[in-house]
Amino acid sequence: MVMQLSAKQSLHLPRIAELIRVEALSDREKVFEFKFDDGKELGQMPGQFVEISIFGVGEAPISVTSSPTHKGSFELAVRATGSVTNKLHTLDKGAKVGIRGPFGNGFPIQTLKGKDILFVAGGIGLFPLRSLINYVLDNRKDFGEVNTLFGCRSPQERLFIGQLAEWNSCKDMCFLETVDRCADDSWSGNVGVITTLFPKVSFDPAKTYAIVVGPPIMYRFVIAECLKKGLADDHIIMSLERRMKCGVGKCGHCQINGLYCCQEGPVFTYAQVKSLKEAV
Amino acid sequence: MKPRVAFFDFTGCEGCQLEVLNFNLEIVDLIGAVDIVEFREASSDHSDEYDIAFIEGSQTTDRDVERIQKIRERAKILVALGACSCTGGVNALKNRFSMEENLKVVYGDSAKLYTTIPTRPTSAYVKVDAFIHGCPPNRNEVIRLVKCLLTGKKFELYHDPVCVECKLAENICAFERGEFCLGPVTRGGCNAVCVTGGRKCWGCRAPVDEPNVNSEKELLARYGLTVDDMLMQLKIFNGALEVSK
Amino acid sequence: MQNRVISKKDLAGFVDDLIKTKAAGEVIGIKAKDDKFNFGTLKNAAELRLDYDIALLPPKKYFFPQIETVLKYEFGATPKVEPVVDDKAMCLVGVHPFDIRGILLFDAVYGGANPDANLLMKRRNSTIIGVDCLTPNPKSFAASMGTAVTDEGFDLMLTDIGGDYFVTVGTTKGDSLIKKAKTRDATPADQEKRDKVRKDTLKKYQVTLKMKADEIPALLDANWESKVFNDKAATCFSCGSCVMVCPTCVCFDVQDDPALNLKGGERYRRWDGCMLTEFAKVASGENFREHKEQRFRHRMYRKGKYLLERYKYLGCVGCGRCAIACLAQIASPAETFNLIKEGK
Repeated sequence: MVMQLSAKQSLHLPRIAELIRVEALSDREKVFEFKFDDGKELGQMPGQFVEISIFGVGEAPISVTSSPTHKGSFELAVRATGSVTNKLHTLDKGAKVGIRGPFGNGFPIQTLKGKDILFVAGGIGLFPLRSLINYVLDNRKDFGEVNTLFGCRSPQERLFIGQLAEWNSCKDMCFLETVDRCADDSWSGNVGVITTLFPKVSFDPAKTYAIVVGPPIMYRFVIAECLKKGLADDHIIMSLERRMKCGVGKCGHCQINGLYCCQEGPVFTYAQVKSLKEAV
Repeated sequence: MKPRVAFFDFTGCEGCQLEVLNFNLEIVDLIGAVDIVEFREASSDHSDEYDIAFIEGSQTTDRDVERIQKIRERAKILVALGACSCTGGVNALKNRFSMEENLKVVYGDSAKLYTTIPTRPTSAYVKVDAFIHGCPPNRNEVIRLVKCLLTGKKFELYHDPVCVECKLAENICAFERGEFCLGPVTRGGCNAVCVTGGRKCWGCRAPVDEPNVNSEKELLARYGLTVDDMLMQLKIFNGALEVSK
Repeated sequence: MQNRVISKKDLAGFVDDLIKTKAAGEVIGIKAKDDKFNFGTLKNAAELRLDYDIALLPPKKYFFPQIETVLKYEFGATPKVEPVVDDKAMCLVGVHPFDIRGILLFDAVYGGANPDANLLMKRRNSTIIGVDCLTPNPKSFAASMGTAVTDEGFDLMLTDIGGDYFVTVGTTKGDSLIKKAKTRDATPADQEKRDKVRKDTLKKYQVTLKMKADEIPALLDANWESKVFNDKAATCFSCGSCVMVCPTCVCFDVQDDPALNLKGGERYRRWDGCMLTEFAKVASGENFREHKEQRFRHRMYRKGKYLLERYKYLGCVGCGRCAIACLAQIASPAETFNLIKEGK
């Protein structure tokens, strides 16, 4: 029953990483690039998350926004919300933090190989999805047709603007963007909620997987739209938010019914979510 | 630069300040971490600028109200320390009588020399950035607050009822001893010190965010008590709060 | 391994020797606390109260302390971080079978995938001397949960068979410990006595489940919408007493505590539970179990279904502590399961 263990294998022990770049994405969001002091890779899969430690303040679960195809460092995009994330926003290049992980299942890359993909990101739902989008673009021949839809509330809330421009001019996928509303003439693109982009893309529902990440309200409408387009329940994939305190399936905070979001999730198919009464 | 900390004393017993002084060894670390610029119980060093103002006692005269407003203007962070400042505390018992009657009882023939107004918590007059509840407040919470300020962490009130810490402390439930305890509806953070000491919870740390008043009533009935009994007990420390039936 | 019989006097001698020699580490036993009982460090065998009904807190606190430091760190250009694992040897004397089942659940949760050094290293260095519970608490329903008797999870198990204790030897560690005591080999007649005592005790449990324990998951599966959850939760204080006293509640919170001198600090974990209002709240403010009936239902599913499906042990051992602690008198899983079964 009790195996050989030592204190060094403590589940709570983070690895030290250095902040090598900070870039503001908006008023509330920044992207932080880290590299481990020991020179090792994070080794994440798209859709996985880490627990970031700011010693003296605490830990917070943050999804990894960089693709594993990007070597030598990794990026976390973070909205300043709680104690840890607010403190993180005050850190400068050179600061050291603790990192545990990667944790969680991540997006089902093997299932997606050879398939068409419809990415749907709402607001900061772009953060975890960006990892997978860039992974797919870096391994483009492994996947079929790719459509990407991104929506946020206003032009001021657009994130990773440089990256969005890259995707916009990218020949490898069709990229469409919208903002919920725009009060001035600073925006010449689409205006309307994200579901208004659906009629502008065409895809074969039998061959397509939709990967949807956004706020709870968005899921309801986007899933309905996906179903209307003929996507099967298990072809709709989403990433759920919960309070993942320990990341290792012990502390209990992230449970959705009998599942632990940090273990069996955070990525679930709509077929799974439908059977989980507490999911959405 | 070390944050400048001041303690201000209003109507109360000054027990909160004594509790802070009771830090023993930790007071040394506290003094190392902050500059205490005003502290009636401990020093005579006065200053007019402060990062953190701890307010002890409730405001019970018009002069108090003016003074608290001036303190607010000069303080970056204002903390209500203890039951009197947080909820009115024991002082609020006087709100059950007319102010004239209070003056007469306290000052007798000299009553006309004094004025008084109903007791209200500090938050009734100025914005309060943090509350440290309790009569007396728990010194560990004062330290936790200072640590939060030093590390840039948001100070959050302890949100669980007293029962949680009471169970962690392995106490026999006060109800099992036949006492009527306010622990289930009172905000913890005190390490259930009263029950651990063989007494019951008097609710000095104010109600939790979602007190279940209906089940408290059921519980009262089981112990042959009425809602009025409970309100009387709750009002000892929370008289200035709206506690409804 | 040979089971044994030990007289009450010799058992006291055995325990005193354990205390004196520290052969199995610090000796912890069940002691009186006013008119209740609780586990604590034993000074001598006379303190031991093997005739108890229930301990205030389950013995899990020795493997999963209420508050446990897990990291110490020093600030600096590169923070120095050290894990903290206290794994001193302990010998627990007088653990009831249902509490042993609770510890086995902890082994399953904290072992398995992602083994937790803090819990498992304490377990590795622990010895458990159980005792059959012959005076069950009126709110206990361990007999219905199949946990009133256990044949695993102990090094030695004591059963009061009248003048003497029958000693069931569970492990070689237990065997070598008891060999140092003055005992005699148990005869088939002794074993018959033990079995009869155990059988008779089952009848002393006053609360019974109106179904077999293994039917609970299916019952819950079919009754997500049951109004029993709402009815019961209506009077819930959300005080957390039920989850704080539970031998199978495994959840915790993690907090940082910096030192005032700002040279460093520590990270600790502390018991937490799903009946408390903020348990499922995330940083953005959303609370995924905002209402008390959602929390109440979640706890019942944890007890009757989720843990079983995940770890092969039911999440309730029927000790009755939650029912004793609950001022609103709603916490007993047996009562809720029975009401659902009766379609109330």
